[in-house]
Amino acid sequence: MNGLTIHRKIEEHTGLLIFGILIVSAIGGLVQLLPVLNQESLETATSNTRPYTAAQLTGRDIYIREGCSVCHSQQVRPLIAELERYGPYSRAGEFVYDRPFLWGSKRTGPDLHRLGGKYSDDWHRIHLLDPRAVVAESIMPAYPWLDKRSAKETGNITAKFIALRRLGHPYSDEDISGAEAELEGLTEMDALIAYLQVLGTGLSGEDEGAAL
Amino acid sequence: MSADLPSGFWSGWIIVLTLFSLACVAWLVWSLYFGKDIDEHPEVEPVWDGNLQEGHNAPPLWWFWMIFGALVFSLMYMMFFPALGSNAGILNWSHGKRLSDSYENFDANFAGVRAEIVSMSLVEIQNDLDLMDTAERIFRRECSVCHGPEGRGQANLFPNLHDVDWQWGASAEQIEQSIRGGRSANMIAWQAMLGEEGVEQVAEYILTLDVGGDASLPGQAVYQQSCTACHGPDGAGNPLLGAPRLSDDIWLYGGDFETIKASITNGRFGIMPAFGHRLDDVQIKLLIALLVR
Repeated sequence: MNGLTIHRKIEEHTGLLIFGILIVSAIGGLVQLLPVLNQESLETATSNTRPYTAAQLTGRDIYIREGCSVCHSQQVRPLIAELERYGPYSRAGEFVYDRPFLWGSKRTGPDLHRLGGKYSDDWHRIHLLDPRAVVAESIMPAYPWLDKRSAKETGNITAKFIALRRLGHPYSDEDISGAEAELEGLTEMDALIAYLQVLGTGLSGEDEGAAL
Repeated sequence: MSADLPSGFWSGWIIVLTLFSLACVAWLVWSLYFGKDIDEHPEVEPVWDGNLQEGHNAPPLWWFWMIFGALVFSLMYMMFFPALGSNAGILNWSHGKRLSDSYENFDANFAGVRAEIVSMSLVEIQNDLDLMDTAERIFRRECSVCHGPEGRGQANLFPNLHDVDWQWGASAEQIEQSIRGGRSANMIAWQAMLGEEGVEQVAEYILTLDVGGDASLPGQAVYQQSCTACHGPDGAGNPLLGAPRLSDDIWLYGGDFETIKASITNGRFGIMPAFGHRLDDVQIKLLIALLVR
């Protein structure tokens, strides 16, 4: 028996060929993905990571809708230049409530993962309405409509909470029944700022010591 | 810093599957080139178009060496780097170690000069043009987004850092506190307490504070009753509370009647975010030297 005879056999039996292709193409996933799915350290939330509130989750959906991740990544890589510019590098455990995560890979603008708390809400409001008002050389587009739309129009927040709970996010019954009320009176701008201000705040000192 | 690698069963799983796949590839390639019956034609191949027949010639030999080389390379790579399950590799390489090496290297080069900067007086730093240049770069990177590229404030929300009126104090200690811990102003909304008429009266009176306050205005009594606790009887302000001076012509949000009225009606809650965890002692010291006058 050698490669040629096996090859001949496989080529002459379609079922065997399909089976062989499936096995070979599955190996990458079996080696790369399966062990990682079972690696507990990657799915354990860092100590200050919390499920998103109704406003934050809505803001996240607006972030996705407006395509923020097209120009902004959300992952600080473990390189000295990135740490000095942005802060501690991103941990897997900070993204356990992100479905999907918004790491991105394109940085036309700066990375946003450690943005939370860096600027005041007022700054974000001005900046999103007209970026040039605070950063003269900015090439970011303005998002003036965010201030005019109600956060409730963005989607059915109760349904989102229920779906996420089914996926294992620890929302209580009160969280779900109160979600709609939390968005009362908020604009999309408020929701987006709530999301931006919580970005990257899931890390505490003890997480920073953990191995990479 | 040791790496966070898969362990236990999954480590073995990765090792076995990876090495087994590599062995299969090696065997397949080897047997295609050097298999025993490579030149025999045990079965009759179909003949196409009268004279076309499939043969069994192996691909050129340089191709074999290329694949063989790639196999050897991958084996070497897996020996030196963390590739096989929980095996950290001969070089003991990890992202964390690369990062700590970078910082060791950084400290080896700059720890001395950084320690020197921390021990220097502010005046010494201010007299060193190179250091002030560095300070300006830090300012442009960290502060200019709100305070403007030259630090002259912008958007009627972020204070000018060149004027003499500093809401939270202009001493080195006060500036350090502002940078490290941030500041939250808390001017409450007075609409409910003063009523619209009261607000207008006070606003009118405040406009006269730069000439000592016009005592004949009805707003004077309201001011004395409601505003002096923070802003002082003569409107001098109080940096401890972040209450700005009202008796000069420097206004953060605007000094016209309508804006002052809006400030009193709705209150003001300006925030300076804390930078204590974003900047280190050297950077903060340089910024203080740049800002203090």
